[in-house]
Amino acid sequence: METMIDSRMIMTDFLAALFDKLDVAAVAAMSKLPSGEKAAYTLFTDKSGLKECVPFFPAMPANAARAISKLTREEAPSKTVAVFLRPCELRALTELIKIKQASLDNLLIISYDCSGVFPFQKINLSDETKLNAYQDAVSTGKNSEGIRPVCAACTRFTPRGADIAISIVGRSADQPLVLSFPSEKGQTAAKQLGLDVSKTVEASPAVESLARERKTAEEALTEQVNESLSGAQGLVNIFDRCISCHACSYVCPICYCKNCYFDSQTFEYFPESYFTRMTAKGTLRMPVDRVLFHLGRLSHMGISCVACGMCEDVCPVNIPVSQIFKTAGSKAQAVFDYIPGENSDDPLPLLAYAENELEEFED
Amino acid sequence: MANNETDIKIVAFLCNWCTFTAADLAGTSRLKYAPNIRIVKVMCSSRIEPVFILKALLDGADGVLIGGCAPGDCHYSKGNFYARRKIALAKTLAESAGLDSDRIRLSWIPASEGPKFAHVVNEFTEHIKNLGYNPARREVYI
Repeated sequence: METMIDSRMIMTDFLAALFDKLDVAAVAAMSKLPSGEKAAYTLFTDKSGLKECVPFFPAMPANAARAISKLTREEAPSKTVAVFLRPCELRALTELIKIKQASLDNLLIISYDCSGVFPFQKINLSDETKLNAYQDAVSTGKNSEGIRPVCAACTRFTPRGADIAISIVGRSADQPLVLSFPSEKGQTAAKQLGLDVSKTVEASPAVESLARERKTAEEALTEQVNESLSGAQGLVNIFDRCISCHACSYVCPICYCKNCYFDSQTFEYFPESYFTRMTAKGTLRMPVDRVLFHLGRLSHMGISCVACGMCEDVCPVNIPVSQIFKTAGSKAQAVFDYIPGENSDDPLPLLAYAENELEEFED
Repeated sequence: MANNETDIKIVAFLCNWCTFTAADLAGTSRLKYAPNIRIVKVMCSSRIEPVFILKALLDGADGVLIGGCAPGDCHYSKGNFYARRKIALAKTLAESAGLDSDRIRLSWIPASEGPKFAHVVNEFTEHIKNLGYNPARREVYI
């Protein structure tokens, strides 16, 4: 565990210091929108807009790794950009780096222990009661009522891989930020910020208790998903609501393909083919290949699934997509002993092999 | 449920260089094997994506057989090593979805082994007959 220090800065001071002392070109974080109800991931290029900045607002309008991919994919920014990312967004970014869709050059990554987010539709900036209850849960290290099930069952909520990590679980919202600087970039930033490193802070026991609560929730979720996914009948029960809008893939940070295989001509059949299928089964539900889309997408991105929950947030028919993908994804990851987002140097399992392995999958 | 399963259907994805050649050899050697397989020839076993296998199962194939060169003997040196990972993924996902991963078989059958090809096909067909029809075969809304 990195040494945590009392920065003696509250969030507004910290944001200003990023510009003043670190001389960053921009800060990327959640910001209030003019409607006053929602927030969105926003780039600030100077301090003037920072009062609208709400980096910890518990909603994810998008997985921010997608935004960072757009900022860094072709070439690195010419000057440092400080980006706030939730741990799942940071893991998604790490996966995107492996497929050459993003880069860490000239990024200063600021992350924090995440207490989860509400479904996007269910939280507004004006929901004071909800937000206060959420803050209470953060400072006591509990799962807040109403957060997404996949967040409540997330066990990787600590900011691994960040340059600057902010400790918020178990601490009150109005106390100065408790920071640690796990990377070399972070260490340099700490020096530039001119922080007094002598004033260290103990890790909060609330982080441990939240981890335990999450672990229990994860086990319960796994059991529940395994029970519902039970063969052809189970698949039909879960997915028969699916309207094939493919929104889950459009918001998925891992699904980076510009032209999705499942939207391609491969799945545009000749009319005759529908009649052949119809004749074989007596009936044919249209559109076809709905379950195949989900299982196929799992085969494409499941190994890299960081369980960020975006897919479930946007599903218009409330299929628990993310809970299913988190559970099935973890099983697939376990086969290859792979943890998505852990380390950008780990090769993607399907792009690597060992000569002697996986013999249990041969006949 | 399945009893007189003469119409058990098995989709076989075979690599051009080894297993398909073995199938050819079995034919030219006049070896008899179960007629339940439908062969799809691919240039390399690593061309077989988990999606192919999952589609076959969801659309009602009772079994999926994947045949490739033995490890170390791949025509493209290492294609079958990648293939093994993909099949491992397909089997794991099938298992997660509650589709019987026992309906998927990966076999390494060298080009010179026609009899082994006939044997694997017979054995796998027998195995699938014991499992019975794939429940997805009758599922209209899948």
